[in-house]
Amino acid sequence: MYQTESWGSPYVPASGRNGVGSYAGGGDPFERIEQLAAESAVVIFSISSCCMCHAIKRLFCGMGVNPTVYELDQAGDPIAGKEMEMALMRLIGASSAAALPVVFVGGKLVGAMDRVMASHINGTLVPLLKDAGALWL
Amino acid sequence: MFPSWPMRFHHQQQGSSRSGGESTDSGSGVNTISSKAEANIEPESPISRKAASSSSDHYHFQHHQMDQLAVSNGGAGPSSSSHHHIQQQNQSADKPPNEKRKGISSEKPLDAKTLRRLAQNREAARKSRLRKKVQAYVQQLETSRIKLSQLEQELQRARQQGLFLGGCSGAGGNLSSAAAMFDMEYARWLEDDLRHMSELRAGLHAHLSDSDLRITVDRYISHYDEIFRLKGVTAKSDVFHLITGVWATPAERCFLWMGGFRPSELIKMLISQLDPLTEQQVMGIYSLQHSSQQAEEALSQGLDQLQQSLVDTIAGGPVIDGMQQMAVALGKLANLEGFVRQADNLRQQTLHQLRRILTVRQAARCFLVIGEYYGRLRALSSLWASRPRDTLMGDENSCQTTTDLQMVQPSQSHFTNF
Repeated sequence: MYQTESWGSPYVPASGRNGVGSYAGGGDPFERIEQLAAESAVVIFSISSCCMCHAIKRLFCGMGVNPTVYELDQAGDPIAGKEMEMALMRLIGASSAAALPVVFVGGKLVGAMDRVMASHINGTLVPLLKDAGALWL
Repeated sequence: MFPSWPMRFHHQQQGSSRSGGESTDSGSGVNTISSKAEANIEPESPISRKAASSSSDHYHFQHHQMDQLAVSNGGAGPSSSSHHHIQQQNQSADKPPNEKRKGISSEKPLDAKTLRRLAQNREAARKSRLRKKVQAYVQQLETSRIKLSQLEQELQRARQQGLFLGGCSGAGGNLSSAAAMFDMEYARWLEDDLRHMSELRAGLHAHLSDSDLRITVDRYISHYDEIFRLKGVTAKSDVFHLITGVWATPAERCFLWMGGFRPSELIKMLISQLDPLTEQQVMGIYSLQHSSQQAEEALSQGLDQLQQSLVDTIAGGPVIDGMQQMAVALGKLANLEGFVRQADNLRQQTLHQLRRILTVRQAARCFLVIGEYYGRLRALSSLWASRPRDTLMGDENSCQTTTDLQMVQPSQSHFTNF
């Protein structure tokens, strides 16, 4: 089973166990997403069993960043979790089911894995992280 | 012939004790029959005589059996032989029938030494025949072995030239239609690549204006965008074909990372060849190398996680859950496409970033270097496949090669080795 604890906590998990229950439930999922994204410098919406999500977490950890991770499959309210997943899919414009992981930096949407990698390669990700206070020189 | 037999035989019976020097025809009755038969078929020779003598012994033995037959049958055939046999027996009581065959004074009885010699002769003849058979068989094997290694080499060569489309996928099955399609498109892409490279070369030599050269460079980038798009399409249907690198030459395949080149390695190769660079450009290139390394590492770890998860899924569990297990595993396997896509994405982004960091002329030279590098890697694969390998000579030739290598190096040890 894919465990968040096994990463040795290089990042700060959301309040409550793996963010369970504290963030999902009730209200517009888009609003919820925006709210959560604004709370931390780097926010990753993920699925605990997803390997690409694991890759993106490793990317940020490798850069020395502590992202806040919300495992949508471990939300207290599974329906709310699913709603948020669908909302994120709409936000990034994904046509297929593979929406997650999705990354927000400084409250602003960066995108899914391909966008994150493209921004890292073209050198725009690091300044963004620094501006958000997630990375120090 | 039959009527004359007994007389002749009788004659010989009486005269055989004295007529040792006669030809084989004058041998004992037994020998006569056999020798007569053989005289008609074969020329007189020691071998045939030996053979005859051995066959006559055999005949002698057979006679014992036929005697029984004759007694029971009383027929014409057997009777003659039994008649024969009786006389034969009479003969053997007197003297050795075989002695006559030798054509020497054969009045001595058939002693142990002679018997042994005859047995040895028979044994030698048998061994000689056996040896010939074995030699013929070994020859056949050797020929087949040469043919087999030749076929293997041809196959290897044909595979590399992409001719062998029907059934040599890495997975062991036939090439899927998506894979076959990709291989075909890739072959065309390689041809286009050569054309683009000669355009770049011509543009650089002709000292085109930057704006003109930019067009050629941008066209080359689009050319690469095309192959990444193609791979993306293929990944949906046959990700294994891409990730196992069946479409690439062996040398390329050896260094394959997630279905293609490793961006950080490419940059490492380019750094020394992209001169002269401004300080800002150098920083840009090193930063690019660093970030691509980080991205590669992250993707590799993700892939490891996928493999581990897959192993856990199909490893344990009760048999009842078998089908469900497989369904889950299939779902996990589908993620492979995502990783190959992201890897290609990384490759594409790296090339675009290079274009941004470098000037137009630098970029033209850079892409020429890249194209030439992979061209050489592919050529290396072909050379490797068609290098001479003497499988028959084996150790001899390897020693020869070692000796040749030693001769190239002028050192003291060179002499001590001889």
